[in-house]
Amino acid sequence: MLLTTTAISVDAAHAAAAAAPRMDPLHHFQVVKYIQMAPFGLDVSISNSVVWMWISLAAVFFFFRYAFRRPEMVPGRMQSVAEAGYLFIRGIVDENIGPSGKPFFPMVFTLFFFVLFCNWTGLIPGSFTATSQLIVTATLALGIFFLSIFLGFYKHGLKFLGFFVPSGLPVLLLPLMVPIEIISFLARPVSLSVRLFANMTAGHTVLGVLFFFAATLPWIGSWLPFGFSVVFTAVEIFIGFIQAYIFTILTCVYINDSLHLHH
Amino acid sequence: MESLPASFIGMGLAAAGLAGSGIGLGFMFGKAIEAFARQPGAEAQLSKYVWIGAAFVEAIALYGLVLAFIIMGKG
Amino acid sequence: MISSAHAATEAHAQSSGLPQFDSSVFGSQIFWTIVSFLVLMYLLKRYVIPAIGDILDNRSKKIGDDLQHAEKARQDADRLLVAYREQMERARQMAAATLEEARLEASAMRDQALTELGEELAKKRAAALDEIERARVQAMEDVQAAAVDIAMLATEKLIAKSVNRAKAEEMVKDAVSHLEQNKASLH
Repeated sequence: MLLTTTAISVDAAHAAAAAAPRMDPLHHFQVVKYIQMAPFGLDVSISNSVVWMWISLAAVFFFFRYAFRRPEMVPGRMQSVAEAGYLFIRGIVDENIGPSGKPFFPMVFTLFFFVLFCNWTGLIPGSFTATSQLIVTATLALGIFFLSIFLGFYKHGLKFLGFFVPSGLPVLLLPLMVPIEIISFLARPVSLSVRLFANMTAGHTVLGVLFFFAATLPWIGSWLPFGFSVVFTAVEIFIGFIQAYIFTILTCVYINDSLHLHH
Repeated sequence: MESLPASFIGMGLAAAGLAGSGIGLGFMFGKAIEAFARQPGAEAQLSKYVWIGAAFVEAIALYGLVLAFIIMGKG
Repeated sequence: MISSAHAATEAHAQSSGLPQFDSSVFGSQIFWTIVSFLVLMYLLKRYVIPAIGDILDNRSKKIGDDLQHAEKARQDADRLLVAYREQMERARQMAAATLEEARLEASAMRDQALTELGEELAKKRAAALDEIERARVQAMEDVQAAAVDIAMLATEKLIAKSVNRAKAEEMVKDAVSHLEQNKASLH
């Protein structure tokens, strides 16, 4: 008896759920392949993620081209912003790597604006956030990870392995400390990629929930989630900047660790 | 136990990890405000590190959230 | 019934896992992320970063130049000021020297004029004294001669033959010496 009522109520709930607008805040993370291509077994399909990545990168490039269409000694508004961005990245590189970081400046510059503009274009309604894809951030983070390993071995040879041996420790502790150091080193790309991806995902999920309530609640209640979604969009703009900043800073720290063995 | 209810419980437990992040954020901003009150001149320099730290602490919470989502996918 | 509902829920849960963990879209995104990143890096490195670096370098160079110019102008101004002060000082000294010279000249002229005047006066005084002396001597001689004559005449008239010439002269001499003695009171 109890079982049947439960079944009926479940049925009724399903029917009600099918009729009511369904909340699905994770829906907009769905990657949709527009063009399926796989020449030579290499998957180069163009999806909404890729398209919005391109739009972001085009925005970066044309923003700088537009800001510097007529470079002037006394900068205008756009040029000031572009120069501020340049000096900001240069400050990060100088602060965290030092003079030997000059060759990495273009990479760090590109990385920062790549992540920043992907974060920000994702806030446009109907757009797609490329940095909310774990695989995109993981690709960037693994690239940085392998670059730092390559730099370490290129610059220091096998001495780079000394990076995993903390100095000034009793020998007895080494069997304990070396695996910890290795694990923390291997955790770097994971934490770097998951931090960015999870921030973007969580932020957009919260926004999705708020938008859902703002759209479906009766007018008497919808203004609250609507107002909150406005506030949270501003917070997301800020978080997008902070996450790009942290991604860049950590990149510089990792490169610096490989260039100068401090341990 | 059935796997679906178990996965829901697991998701809740994973998301409960956000509490730690909340404690961390509160602790950090409290300390930061204390520091600004003591040294108003250092606010500009310190607030930079406060925001970096906030992003780090927040990220820890989001690891839990990601774990919850992973469990949701497996459930 | 339960199992079907369960299955439906399970299917829903399966589909509502995070889309990010769907590995079927990984390959293309890895490829395009790498390619897009490298393309953007190339574009920025080729077109944007040198432009910004150039303009920043130019600006800092221009600011440096301007500062240098300002410094030079300041030094010039300082030099001019020093030169001006020197000139002023020189002019002041020259004026003082001229004044001193004029003062000295004036005083010399006054001294000379005084001396000349004194000399003139002394000469005039001497000449006057000479004149007076001469006049006195002359007068004395005249008086003496006249006295002698008078005495001679008087004596001649008074005592005619009793007094000779020598006696008379002696008497006159006495008289004159008497006169000489009383000259002081006479003057």
